[in-house]
Amino acid sequence: MIFLKLFLEFFHIGLFSYGGGYATLPFLYHLVDKYGWYTTAQLTDMIAISSVTPGPLGVNVATFAGYVSAGILGAFIATVSILLPSIIIVVMISKLLEQFKNNRFVKSVIYSIKPAGCGLLAAVGVNMFLNNMSTSGVVLFLALFIVSLKYKRDPLIYLGVSAMVGFVLSFIK
Amino acid sequence: MEKNLYNIYKTFFKIGMLLLGGGYVILPLLQSELVEKRSWITGDEVAEYYALSQSIPGLIAANISIFTGYKLLGISGALAAIGGVITPAFLAIVVLARVLEEIIKYDFVQGIFWGVGIGVLVLIYLAVKEIWHKSVSDQYTFAIFFIVFLLSLCFKISPAWLVISAVLAGIILQVLKDKKLVEDEIEEDDK
Repeated sequence: MIFLKLFLEFFHIGLFSYGGGYATLPFLYHLVDKYGWYTTAQLTDMIAISSVTPGPLGVNVATFAGYVSAGILGAFIATVSILLPSIIIVVMISKLLEQFKNNRFVKSVIYSIKPAGCGLLAAVGVNMFLNNMSTSGVVLFLALFIVSLKYKRDPLIYLGVSAMVGFVLSFIK
Repeated sequence: MEKNLYNIYKTFFKIGMLLLGGGYVILPLLQSELVEKRSWITGDEVAEYYALSQSIPGLIAANISIFTGYKLLGISGALAAIGGVITPAFLAIVVLARVLEEIIKYDFVQGIFWGVGIGVLVLIYLAVKEIWHKSVSDQYTFAIFFIVFLLSLCFKISPAWLVISAVLAGIILQVLKDKKLVEDEIEEDDK
């Protein structure tokens, strides 16, 4: 039953991804190996599209993955499923806001889970770098990397510049 | 503007349309739309919800929208806010998914995707750097970072197991701290 599987997988992603939209990526790469709903190449395209369309990246990729694997109903189920844990957790915390903020176990868990989220994301970055790199890719990455060290820019600038470089290069090749 | 479900949905729909290039862009949008234009919440509340949104699982933009919607009008407000923020995203992706097969044939589209892919890598690097500064502060947190990084890179292990392990590590750490505190107190009493 594809819809039940979509619900379970994306609910699970919403519950365990920690550290914002990119934190969903390790889970989405993991799904490639587990189900083959989409390929690694398709996922790379999805990430590119999600970065230039409105909305949180995690939601975009969920909608896309659901659509590719089971049409519009699949898209809807994946999107709602990835958000459902957030809705449950935030409503619960809103009711117990003061107790939550001051609980020492909550503090200790957050203190431990943050570096784990950082490690997962770093591993995804390294994997993406190793999987997709050509000479021109490395050059573009390093150029943007050096710019990012010197200036604090709006993230959209990096996407805009790199999209333009890709656009121009496609005519030169 | 009156705080009713329709207005909450509409306001968050607008925020959702402007939410380009990752969730953290939502912070200035909430500041201008909800704090400055409508005075629905205060700047301090936005900052508090942002901090809380980062300390729980899930997408940060989604979490902060739900917090704000709940504050405005309870559970139905929370649903109106999250519904509004994701409607533009959902429509954009469903439309694009339909035409993707067609447009991906063009070289220039592939070129743009390739370029954006590199841009995303830079953004991931920046996100790692930012989370690093906020999370890795001593040997314990560095050890967690490094172990999770290595296991995730070298094995096809589900990220959920690594996250659950980190949660357990946090609980064990606190139990050990509590125990040490009790022991120290007993020692104090003995003296």
